[in-house]
Amino acid sequence: MKRVLYVILVLILTGLVLKACIRADVEQVVLNPKNYEQESILNYYPYIKRNVTIDGVDYLQSEAPVGKFGGTFVTSTIGEGPKTFNPFNSKDNISSQMSEIMYDGLVTTDVVTGETIPKLAKDFKVDGCEYLIHLRKGIKWSDGKPINADDVVFTWQNIIFDGYGNTSTRDSVVIDGKLPTVEKIDDYTVKFVTPKPFAPFLRMLSSPIAPKHIFEPAVNRGKAYFDGFLSTNTDPKDFVISGAFKLKEYVPAQRVVFERNPNYYVINKDDQKLPYLDKIVYMIVGDINNQVLKFEGGELDEIGLQGANVARFKEMEKHSDFTVYNLGPNTGTMYLSMNLNNRKDKNGKYYVNPKKQVWFQDKNFRQAVDYALDRENMIFNIANGLAEPLFTPETLNSIFLNKEIKGHKRDINKSKELLKKSGFYWDKAGHLIDKFGNHVEFDLYTNAGNTEREAIGVMVKQDLEDLGMKVNFKPIEFNSLVNKLMSTLDWDMVIMGFTGSPLEPNGGKNVWLSDGTLHIFNQRLETDIESKRYPFEKRIDYLYTQGALQTKFEDRKKYYDEYQSIVYEEKPLIYIYSPLIISAIRNKFKNVYPTSLGGVTHNIEEIYIEEGE
Amino acid sequence: MQILIYILKRILQTIPLLIIVSLISFFIIRLSPVDPLAELRLNPSVSKETLQKETERLGLDKPIIVQYGKWAKSFIKGDLGVTSNGEKVSTKLKERIPNTLLLTTVVIFLAWVVGIPLGVLAAINWKTPFDRILTVLTSIGMAIPSFFFAVLLLIFAVKTGWFPVGGLTSSNFMEMSFLEKFLDITHHLILPVTVLFTLSLAGLQRQMRGNLLDVLDSDYVKFARAKGVSEVKVVFKHALRNAVNPLITLLGFEFAGLLSGAALTEYVFQYPGLGRLILEAVLKSDINLVMASLMMGAVMLILGNLIADILLIITDPRIREGSQA
Repeated sequence: MKRVLYVILVLILTGLVLKACIRADVEQVVLNPKNYEQESILNYYPYIKRNVTIDGVDYLQSEAPVGKFGGTFVTSTIGEGPKTFNPFNSKDNISSQMSEIMYDGLVTTDVVTGETIPKLAKDFKVDGCEYLIHLRKGIKWSDGKPINADDVVFTWQNIIFDGYGNTSTRDSVVIDGKLPTVEKIDDYTVKFVTPKPFAPFLRMLSSPIAPKHIFEPAVNRGKAYFDGFLSTNTDPKDFVISGAFKLKEYVPAQRVVFERNPNYYVINKDDQKLPYLDKIVYMIVGDINNQVLKFEGGELDEIGLQGANVARFKEMEKHSDFTVYNLGPNTGTMYLSMNLNNRKDKNGKYYVNPKKQVWFQDKNFRQAVDYALDRENMIFNIANGLAEPLFTPETLNSIFLNKEIKGHKRDINKSKELLKKSGFYWDKAGHLIDKFGNHVEFDLYTNAGNTEREAIGVMVKQDLEDLGMKVNFKPIEFNSLVNKLMSTLDWDMVIMGFTGSPLEPNGGKNVWLSDGTLHIFNQRLETDIESKRYPFEKRIDYLYTQGALQTKFEDRKKYYDEYQSIVYEEKPLIYIYSPLIISAIRNKFKNVYPTSLGGVTHNIEEIYIEEGE
Repeated sequence: MQILIYILKRILQTIPLLIIVSLISFFIIRLSPVDPLAELRLNPSVSKETLQKETERLGLDKPIIVQYGKWAKSFIKGDLGVTSNGEKVSTKLKERIPNTLLLTTVVIFLAWVVGIPLGVLAAINWKTPFDRILTVLTSIGMAIPSFFFAVLLLIFAVKTGWFPVGGLTSSNFMEMSFLEKFLDITHHLILPVTVLFTLSLAGLQRQMRGNLLDVLDSDYVKFARAKGVSEVKVVFKHALRNAVNPLITLLGFEFAGLLSGAALTEYVFQYPGLGRLILEAVLKSDINLVMASLMMGAVMLILGNLIADILLIITDPRIREGSQA
């Protein structure tokens, strides 16, 4: 009897504890992106900056309302934090982001139009292969030394062209095996000459410029030394920078603190030197859940949101001190790809089962798969309605997007028609059978742990099973998957994503050139780099090469439009959707104009704090 | 003298052990399909040349046995090598060791100071409501998964705003006075310490209670009681000394746990400790870092056991006599 009493007591106790933990759940709201757009999408930035000369110094003047100085902006980054503060060594996004805060490039991107506009340079002229850059007179590094042509020539010639640090910038400006040249005309003028007209070069000029007097000793000590130069262990005092903020403190796995650069060359309407804020703090958080908790706990001022959290934050927004902004579709692309490989490995075995090759290399089959996908359902169920269907390799906010490609809804009848055209038929049980009598059955991979891709995989499987295909969905560990895609090539279908650039399609050349390192749907290993190309691969090779060689936007657009139509027609990659970027920022920050291309902090020097409303 | 020879013998025994541990762990890590460059490979903006350079820098183009030889050679020289990002492993570890030590020592100290007396009290008051309640509470403490408990506490922190949401220091830590710094760290430590403390307290209390109950049931205690020795004297003078032996072995294990950290709790609380560092290193196969931490764990475990054995020799005459015989 006594024992029963105890059991009941314990049960009640546990029940009470659990009850305390469960909060009445906020009603799940699925937002319609269409309504949402009108509500708060901001894709304008009213304040153009202009050059002014005061006492012989060429400043950049902000037209934004004059604000108050002081205060701290606390934001966060997910992961392990920066791996280096040397802008030329960074290989990951976070390190690049951190060094971009500190080092400005000659040019930057207009956050509304995507055009290239001057930044550290006062102005620039492009004439075919020649790029004439005028620098600002009288502006200084954070240690007071002048910024001049020597720094620019040194950065490009001695660091980038000579192959120090991460050589990706250098490798991408090699044209027909030749590097551009850089030459000092006078203290404030620099001339670049490319071997051939090469459009992407102008945007490459946004690469950071290094102070020669700091970097030269490191360069002289060789590449191995340079790899560890300005690492995360460097004393913050040793940084000499040109950007708005300078490293103040780095606490591993906790935070990165930047302080204002008193020598920054942007001024406000009252001719006071910006930035307004004293400090920017990046908290290093391990995962997205912790980030959300930290924002709700008031420790962060800004946060990027996804999926279900958006609906919850939208509900909270009304009685909270923050505003949720919709910055439009993000720059990543999520796609379904089939293995178009038709070669044998060194043991004479086909990478892809020849039976399956017949399906994957059949354009009708690929189109049938595309028409069978219910993108709207995926967006509704997986992204909580906060995404746009995607049909092109260029992302929806790309300035090169081919707007002629409208996409389509799910059309299962069209899929069936396409399959019939290629001789597929269905048996009595509804299984799909090809013209050689083989059951259509294949593996679909994605990386385990990415819940979004796993959810998409499940829905793709369901959609394709409506066509009578048998899909074995196998989420596997990320590294194993990369190994399959890059080395062993023994896969059938995969769901993956790439990061894209909304400004420069040439960044995708590793994917689209038929000998690219990331030519995922038909990866060529070193041994079969010369193997036969599909006609559409040849055409894309041509378009990609030509597109980069033109310098006028209109001329380039023609080439990139055609490549997008070919991809849409041939479906080597079947694009799925682009999630919207949603950000929340506390209302006390003013001059906040998030845009799709620039994100929230593109005008960080103009942002200030207005307390007490 | 006897003890010294014993220690020397034990230390010599550890050498083959360490070699085996390092061989097994090195090969398991390298044979797993984890590719340290996977992220880079899938980044469209990274060029072929950069990938090639990285492969050579990390020595991935050489056979595993050569990689192991290279690692072992520098390890013997006391050089732990560099991480996959090119930072020194020793500096990486040095950054985190104080944080982890802070957390683990506070937890172990609290657990022992509270756990032992509670165990004793429970044993003395065997089968009373006090003992029963403690039993229920410690059972809950042992049964609740640490990460789940940690998440609950985090939600608690967010809802009430009483505690910071993870981390070890506030963002304006640098500008604080010494006292403020101390309070700030204490404030951040409360929640992670609570999680780990609950966990180890429960185990320790149960262990102590069990040991003491065993001893209290033994013949010589019955004899002492029959002789009319006061209960206080029976428990504290006769029983407790014998009941504490197994706990000394436990202390050896606790010592080993000093540096291995509590990866899950650290992860949930975003605590900048070794556990989190190593978890992240394993996930991307950062071989030098993982090996350094595994070797450190092995050495600490061996050392902890050695210390425990020595302590036992000192406290327990039976073992002392046995080793001399």
